Amino acid sequence: MDAARPVVTADAAADDPSPTQEALLARVGQMTRSLHDSLRGLDFDKLAARAAHDIPDARDRLDYVARMTEQAAQKVLNATEAASPLQERIGGGARSLAQQWRQALDGDGAATPLAGATLAYLEQTAGDSDLTRQQLMDIMMAQDFQDLTGQVIRKVTELAHGLEQQLVQLLVDYAPGDLKREAQGGLLNGPQINPGASPDVVADQTQVDDLLESLGF
Amino acid sequence: MADPKMKFLVVDDFSTMRRIVRNLLKELGYSNVDEAEDGAMALTKLKNEQFDFVISDWNMPVMNGLDMLKSIRADAALAKLPVLMVTAEAKKENIIAAAQAGANGYVVKPFTAATLDEKLAKIFEKLEKVGA
Repeated sequence: MDAARPVVTADAAADDPSPTQEALLARVGQMTRSLHDSLRGLDFDKLAARAAHDIPDARDRLDYVARMTEQAAQKVLNATEAASPLQERIGGGARSLAQQWRQALDGDGAATPLAGATLAYLEQTAGDSDLTRQQLMDIMMAQDFQDLTGQVIRKVTELAHGLEQQLVQLLVDYAPGDLKREAQGGLLNGPQINPGASPDVVADQTQVDDLLESLGF
Repeated sequence: MADPKMKFLVVDDFSTMRRIVRNLLKELGYSNVDEAEDGAMALTKLKNEQFDFVISDWNMPVMNGLDMLKSIRADAALAKLPVLMVTAEAKKENIIAAAQAGANGYVVKPFTAATLDEKLAKIFEKLEKVGA
């Protein structure tokens, strides 16, 4: 009868569980057992209530961060959008007046020092207002953090929501059932938090361009 | 430089990003800009109004940017519309998928004003060559 034994072994070998997979399963088994033991030693109702309360609370806090940063970004954009045309007007006015002064002085600013100083000031004002507008553009561009952090927060919030449902379900069932979670991903991964770390992620625009070029773009 | 009167549609679910792109376009000389919050809203606008250029995010609720791009390419009336993807999705498979779906360009967030300018110029250049 023992002759039948090796067949089972052969079948198991055909499934080919890699050593890492076995180690992982053993680890999950240990964690499940430890969780099970912990649960047994605790007051289930209290734990369930805490889990059900804490995760939504964490989500609320993240929502708050998202809301506050968006409001701040909108305020900054309101200010840059209001200030930019003013700078344009200041620069345009200074440039136009400088031009008129230049014609009036006919290249002889030294003859009337006050007029010469006025001309120099107008020219500097035109240049300064251009630089200020450039700085305003940079301030505006920097507000893109809100989109990027907002997407990351949204992802973490979804994750917390999933975790909460699973935990509650676990406590409700009190059976360490299948805790496998479908890996999120596909084509909607959002901003890369650490682009250099993964080979299938581009780290900068140059790499995007190179890839597109290799595709004939 | 392309016609400054050309009409852009900026599609992004984050209003901050829509405003940034709108302001950048204005700085580049294009002030005829409309906005949409997701792919579905964008398609409705594209079907009812004349647009010359679409700048779209990828990850959006209701309808994402890739599905919108595919719908645009599948619609005879819109098929030729230039679409520039501006997205935080930075995986190579994303870029390949967008290229295969018919995107005219791909910019990864965060991006600079110079990058947007350059990509727009490149697309216009190619379109002129095709048109000529």
